[in-house]
Amino acid sequence: MEKKRAMLHTKKAGVGVYVVAAFLVLLYLLPIYVLVNQSFRYLTDLSPRLYLPEQVTLDNYLSAFTNSALWNGFKNSTIHVVEVCALEIILGGLAAYGLARAGGRLSSALRTFNICVMMIPSLSLLVGTYSLMVRFGMINKIWALSLQAAALGMSGTMFFYTSFIISIPKELDEAAAIDGAGVLGTFFRIILPQLKPITVTRLIMIAVGTWNSFAMPTYLLTDGSKATVIMVVRKAFYTAAGSVQNVPLACAMCAVALLPVIVLYIVLQRYIIEGQLDSVSK
Amino acid sequence: MEKRRKRILLSLTIPAFLLIFMFMIVPLGNALRVSFFKWNGYSQKMKFIGLDNYLSIFSDKVFRTSTLNTFVYGFGSTLLQNIFGLSAAIFVNKQFKGRNVIRLILYMPIMISGVIMGAIQYYIFNFDNGVLNNLLNLFGIESIYWMKTGVRSVLIITLINSWQAMGFCMLIYLAGLQNIPKMYKEAALLDGAKKRQIFFQVELPLLMPAITTAVITNLIGGLKLYDIIVTLTNGGPNRKSLSLSYYISLLYFSDEKAGYSAAVGVALFLIIFVVAVPINQYLRSKEVEY
Repeated sequence: MEKKRAMLHTKKAGVGVYVVAAFLVLLYLLPIYVLVNQSFRYLTDLSPRLYLPEQVTLDNYLSAFTNSALWNGFKNSTIHVVEVCALEIILGGLAAYGLARAGGRLSSALRTFNICVMMIPSLSLLVGTYSLMVRFGMINKIWALSLQAAALGMSGTMFFYTSFIISIPKELDEAAAIDGAGVLGTFFRIILPQLKPITVTRLIMIAVGTWNSFAMPTYLLTDGSKATVIMVVRKAFYTAAGSVQNVPLACAMCAVALLPVIVLYIVLQRYIIEGQLDSVSK
Repeated sequence: MEKRRKRILLSLTIPAFLLIFMFMIVPLGNALRVSFFKWNGYSQKMKFIGLDNYLSIFSDKVFRTSTLNTFVYGFGSTLLQNIFGLSAAIFVNKQFKGRNVIRLILYMPIMISGVIMGAIQYYIFNFDNGVLNNLLNLFGIESIYWMKTGVRSVLIITLINSWQAMGFCMLIYLAGLQNIPKMYKEAALLDGAKKRQIFFQVELPLLMPAITTAVITNLIGGLKLYDIIVTLTNGGPNRKSLSLSYYISLLYFSDEKAGYSAAVGVALFLIIFVVAVPINQYLRSKEVEY
């Protein structure tokens, strides 16, 4: 019976399924098509954006690749992402271990507090954060932005790790303690190896979120030389709307900025998609 | 010994909470303080005006539109994302060649920054030589001014946001669907249940934990919406497609009303809190164990 049903299923997965699939592919790749299409155009090419360029040019990519602001943006974004990831994973992981294992009223109160903090929208902190950071000379410092971003993401990371560590049997810790391991020793030798798969997932989530963040970096990094890659690309589109409408160049810069993200996405798809599936199905 | 262990464990949380305290709690307190002042954001002069900033919220038309928009972004996106996400999950859960590629493509926009996505989508929804209008013209239909009014812009932003973030819901539902033991479905089939009955009476209740996660995440994300608006409409026309998050930053950096901006920030915080907590509680009470 099982076999029969399976056969029925494959029979059904005929034309209809592939029509839907093709439609979805078109719907989801359209923006990429629009972006790439425009990036190969001459500035004077005003033919419909739906169609291929009248004449293909690589000039925009040449200017994008030699654009020092874009490379500088890559550098700044990379520094920012590495700092935020390190802070969140190390401090968040340690704190989550403490919260998961300490027990008692204080740790459960801290966990509730943590969930409340998760709900604070970052923009409602804008005035408070910005004016304080101006006063303490923390504007235009990537490390300061990283501390701020890590603080904002910390509660989520802690929540994520805590619920996972709770599911690890306590007996493992107790066995390690009997063997004479201290708290930190237990964490690094017993717990951390167990956390490897979800750390990869969390690391990717933090990295993507930090790489793509826009509001806080824009306000806290006002000096052009400190701009992140997203800020540089947005500025390319923005000036395009203002004085000289160089949309093709902006699109080429945008494509260059997106390329590493998409390549990493395809390379790491197993971790991103499977990891996401595992973390919700737990 | 046990007590010492516990103290060490608790001390591990200090660095993380210290960071949260310095960059979230202190700014929140500072914002609360500033919200009672009239201040332009940079001068030394601050004038205490009590609750005036909060009172002027009630007569502020832009605040009203922005709040309404924020709800549309929050609830509209949540609804659409869950519908799209569940349909996509059911579709991708079918056995067919290339389903992993489809899954990969549907999730991809999540990797792309909202600011960049908004910039690209602008050239799809643009009146002048936008791709959507190119398509219409192809069928002999006149171009449409898609983002002519505030309402239309808000709906388009909601649609694009849902389209972009739908993959997250899809994965949550996919995990949920794959986790439902086969025997439940088979038992229902043996009892003569119809396909639709199985979906609504067996699968959907069992998906409730997945739905909780999806709804809460989408809702909070939608209520905080900011990035797409920046490049797609820039809040326009006439500040009619602003979200509260975007309005806060405009008030501070363009209008130089730091005190009022802080008050709107407190309002946004309260809105998210008031909306998310009861919904979370309600959905948790609906969960079924299996």
